[in-house]
Amino acid sequence: MMRLFSFAIVLLAGFVAQPNDAQAHPHVSVTSTSELIYATDGSVTGIRHAWTFDDLFSAYAIQGLDTKTKGVYTREDLAPLAQVNVDSLKEFAYFTTARSGARKEKFGDPVDYFLEYKDSKLVLTFTLPLKVPAKTQELVLEVYDPTYFVAFALADKEPLKLVGAPANCKLAIQKPAESKPQQTLSEQNFLNGENANYGANFANRMTVACQ
Amino acid sequence: MTLRWISCRVSIVVAAIAAIALSDALVHAVVAQTPFGAPRPAASAVQQTGGIIGWLLAKQSEFYREMSGAIRAAKNDGSAVTTLLGISFLYGVFHAAGPGHGKAVISSYLVANEETARRGIVLSFASAFLQALVAVLIVGVGAVLLNVTAKTMCSTERVIEIVSYALIAAFGARLVWTKGRGFIGALQRERSGGVAGPGLVPAMSHAHRSAVAHGHSHAHHDHGHAAHDHHSHASHAHEHHHHDHAHVHDEHCGHNHGPTPDQLAGPGGWSRGLGAIVAVGLRPCSGAILVLVFALAQGLFWAGVAATFVMGLGTAITVTAIALIAVSGKGLARRLAAGREGGGVLVMRGLEFGAAGLVLLLGGGLLLGYLSAERVTCF
Repeated sequence: MMRLFSFAIVLLAGFVAQPNDAQAHPHVSVTSTSELIYATDGSVTGIRHAWTFDDLFSAYAIQGLDTKTKGVYTREDLAPLAQVNVDSLKEFAYFTTARSGARKEKFGDPVDYFLEYKDSKLVLTFTLPLKVPAKTQELVLEVYDPTYFVAFALADKEPLKLVGAPANCKLAIQKPAESKPQQTLSEQNFLNGENANYGANFANRMTVACQ
Repeated sequence: MTLRWISCRVSIVVAAIAAIALSDALVHAVVAQTPFGAPRPAASAVQQTGGIIGWLLAKQSEFYREMSGAIRAAKNDGSAVTTLLGISFLYGVFHAAGPGHGKAVISSYLVANEETARRGIVLSFASAFLQALVAVLIVGVGAVLLNVTAKTMCSTERVIEIVSYALIAAFGARLVWTKGRGFIGALQRERSGGVAGPGLVPAMSHAHRSAVAHGHSHAHHDHGHAAHDHHSHASHAHEHHHHDHAHVHDEHCGHNHGPTPDQLAGPGGWSRGLGAIVAVGLRPCSGAILVLVFALAQGLFWAGVAATFVMGLGTAITVTAIALIAVSGKGLARRLAAGREGGGVLVMRGLEFGAAGLVLLLGGGLLLGYLSAERVTCF
């Protein structure tokens, strides 16, 4: 009787608390194209992103913006907004991670940033310089929001370009749909660490290997 | 007396289990939600994996993405408005299954109070309607009339959000206060040997007094009427309800129940419900705001308004479903507790107290940023 009762309580508590476990769907979607910038010595100096926002968010972002010509949004008109964008992105580590082996590279403040308005969509372009240029055999780049507030998708065509990379560098792109592991997770293989970074499996992963 | 002592201990244990279960669920909710700044890779596994939640998220994202296309199409083709409304409705249904939209608050409120399913439905629909109305007002006044920027609108949203969370917390505090007194009253009564007497808890409100007395009178059925008479003195203000009570007694003879719905709908009843509606409904859905602004940019503001209200209708249906589950969950708990000696009054008061605490914690958590519903987009 008591067991039944406490079961009912747990059920009830579950129903009440459940909605907070679920996550909201992303209200912003971004199609990402990036360039990996190399120095002449073959080290990576930074990443240049061009992020295209979805039309709903773009319309929202430019609402009420003062422009010289009505309906035309120039880079200059959008400059204050671009500033707000890069400033707020800092808090989210630019939704970008770069790993050389086990080491996580650190980024400096973004440079050369601007917004453009093309086909009713905003495109944010900015360069993330690496604090220390990375000269590694393998660099793994990920663009995603682990909280899934912003849905990042890699562009279909050439999501990453290697600019000035040594000839022996090869690029491999992994999109979430492709990288979804086929195996089922058991508690055991979850706990023994093999799948400790399970969530990262769903990230947009770009691997550059230089042999 | 020994039996009574045992039953007293047992009910305390059950109340403790209830409290632990509730707080565990809450802690789980707190831990599962991370503020924007602290990325947790595990979080993305949750929504990308299959299962019901994964499916819900996939569906709502799909409908959300289709919305802009439907608004565009409606510009040239009037019949596309029907498609837009259909998508909006489905989006509302699926979207409300995610965080926000007051499911947790409304459900907890319904459990904390002796609420009927009918009131649960009214509360859910009214708060969803208010949510839609606030979204339309923000965009209508902000974007259409004043042509403010997204940044200004977003700040407005944030202020409204904070006010809404503060209201939920205040509302929860009030519930905790009244339900806490009810719980302590039930505890004292249990300790003093189960004899209900108004003198024991002089500070208790009328509604509670009679609620407790009812539970009791039913459990000790043979004492029922005596207890009732005893209370008629204390509940003068409710004299006009006595007829109803007697009626319900006859109908559900032997059943344990709290105050009747119209007793709650009486003094402070509906106005208390109104508090829940405002606290929950004040905060608009970010999705609706984006759709409205997009519709405005396309020169089809009215289509956005229609879509927003239809979205609210879909939301209301989902919230209602969850609220009804909460109400029947409590009904089940009550039936299970009714078999116990003392009618499980203490258990029920404990459950209500726990639910009241949940409203307070939800409000406080949202206000202080430990919990996040849908984040307002300002960037």
